[in-house]
Amino acid sequence: MTAPAVAPPSVFSWVPLALALGRRSLLGIWRIPAAMVPLLAMPIFFLVAFSGSFSSLLELPSFPTDNVVSWFAPFAIIQGSAFAGFGIGFATVRDIETGFYDRLLLSPGSRIALLVGPALATAARALVTATAVLMVALVMGARIPGGALGLVMVLLASMGTAVISAGWSLGLVFRMPNQRSGPILQLVIFVCTFLSTGTVPLADQIGWTEPLARLNPLTDVLALARQGFVGEVTWATTWPGLVALVGGLVVLWTWAATGIRKLTP
Amino acid sequence: MAAAVVGDRDVGLGARAVVEQVRALGLRSIRGTLRQPQVWLPGLLFPMFIAAVNTSAMGKAVEFLPGFDGVDSLLDFLLVASITQSVLFGGLAAGTDTTTDIQTGFFDRLLASPVSRTSILVGRLMGASVTGALQALVFIALYGAFGVRIAAGVPGGLLLVAYAMVLALVIGGFAALLALRTGSAEAVQNMFPLTFIVLFMSSAFFPTESMEGSYRSIASHNPLTWMVDGMRYQVIVGLDWSQAAMSLSWTAGLAVLAIFGANRALRARLRRAT
Repeated sequence: MTAPAVAPPSVFSWVPLALALGRRSLLGIWRIPAAMVPLLAMPIFFLVAFSGSFSSLLELPSFPTDNVVSWFAPFAIIQGSAFAGFGIGFATVRDIETGFYDRLLLSPGSRIALLVGPALATAARALVTATAVLMVALVMGARIPGGALGLVMVLLASMGTAVISAGWSLGLVFRMPNQRSGPILQLVIFVCTFLSTGTVPLADQIGWTEPLARLNPLTDVLALARQGFVGEVTWATTWPGLVALVGGLVVLWTWAATGIRKLTP
Repeated sequence: MAAAVVGDRDVGLGARAVVEQVRALGLRSIRGTLRQPQVWLPGLLFPMFIAAVNTSAMGKAVEFLPGFDGVDSLLDFLLVASITQSVLFGGLAAGTDTTTDIQTGFFDRLLASPVSRTSILVGRLMGASVTGALQALVFIALYGAFGVRIAAGVPGGLLLVAYAMVLALVIGGFAALLALRTGSAEAVQNMFPLTFIVLFMSSAFFPTESMEGSYRSIASHNPLTWMVDGMRYQVIVGLDWSQAAMSLSWTAGLAVLAIFGANRALRARLRRAT
């Protein structure tokens, strides 16, 4: 007796599962209202609070704009996007703790789907964050002299940052699959976003933060996102941001991909 | 003296017994907090990190921007902000621990024992207040090591500690109120973003003189601004009893309000329990 012939799986057989996981992750936002807090409430609050509290910072010599909302809106978007990635990591912790992830790992689907699905969902979440913050920023009087290209740059930076952050979050969650990973995830994201040019340009920083902000790749990503808000989009500002995004994606998604193997018994 | 406790009333407990119970429950609260570094450590580290970053990144502000008269370093300006931030975050632990007591049944066991009802609340708040004092001392010592000198000297330092203790009663009281009303740790934790908003929309991190428009108006009318400014005066300018009185009276007023609300919530819960 011969075994029934089974067609070899297509190279792209993981795509439907990845899309399904991405869709499930997005539905989770609506089903768990608390998930909206880091996604929307926090970045909008930071935009309002920073623009209000630190409005006079624009009087410092190196600020490239006289519009405080234009300065802080891209920072709020990038920070919110980074927390969108954190949200994916934390949702995965819940799936691991409830046993749902075990069932995914036991299913015959490709592991690639378990990584691509959350990545797609994170990019979509970041788009929601960026759109909401942009709308609030425009109402508050933000200007975008870089025009449509400036908007494309901030959306690109937003989605890139979110996917990088998801890579970091998933990599850690796969290695520390419990709620205790939450504070570490948040702390690293907070430190990375604050040790950058988020609030003050490099030239106006004094002391120990200046060299760290200069080395932080997020500074280049922020410049990529912010250029259309403070002037014209230029290739000289764009390419370092793109390099930072690609570098971050490669390093942190390698970290995530090697981490998922640790979950498999 | 063992006394009977009826409904939500304390019956026949001597003052000495009540004080002893407050002391025991207060010590339990402090020990409970100290045993959970994950509860109090972020409340210390996060304000330190924010202050360290802002001092470096925004350090030029004291030279160029209005509202920083007499300020040598942004760290001087941020000392009171850090204490306030730390106490506000740490004070939430009083509420969270109360919900834990409710959920684990410890609260019911307390009710079944001849313990003064008042001491349940006062003990918890005393614990939060002492923790607030410890937080203030840590910040004064650490920032002192980085060159921050309190212009009002030792009396100024004592005023800061007193401010932290009363502020802990404010946040601890409101957190206990929520905990007793809902019994839900999640509801208490939801106060966290609110404290963040109140903190940012005040002069804690930047002077109101450097703000603009409606944001400046909100910050100028935020009681936290008056509380912080009165204490900051002791750090930047020097000892001034009227400034200290303004700050402490607002803080104490809010503390009375919070404790009154928490006490009512406690009585309501006791009535439901009997």
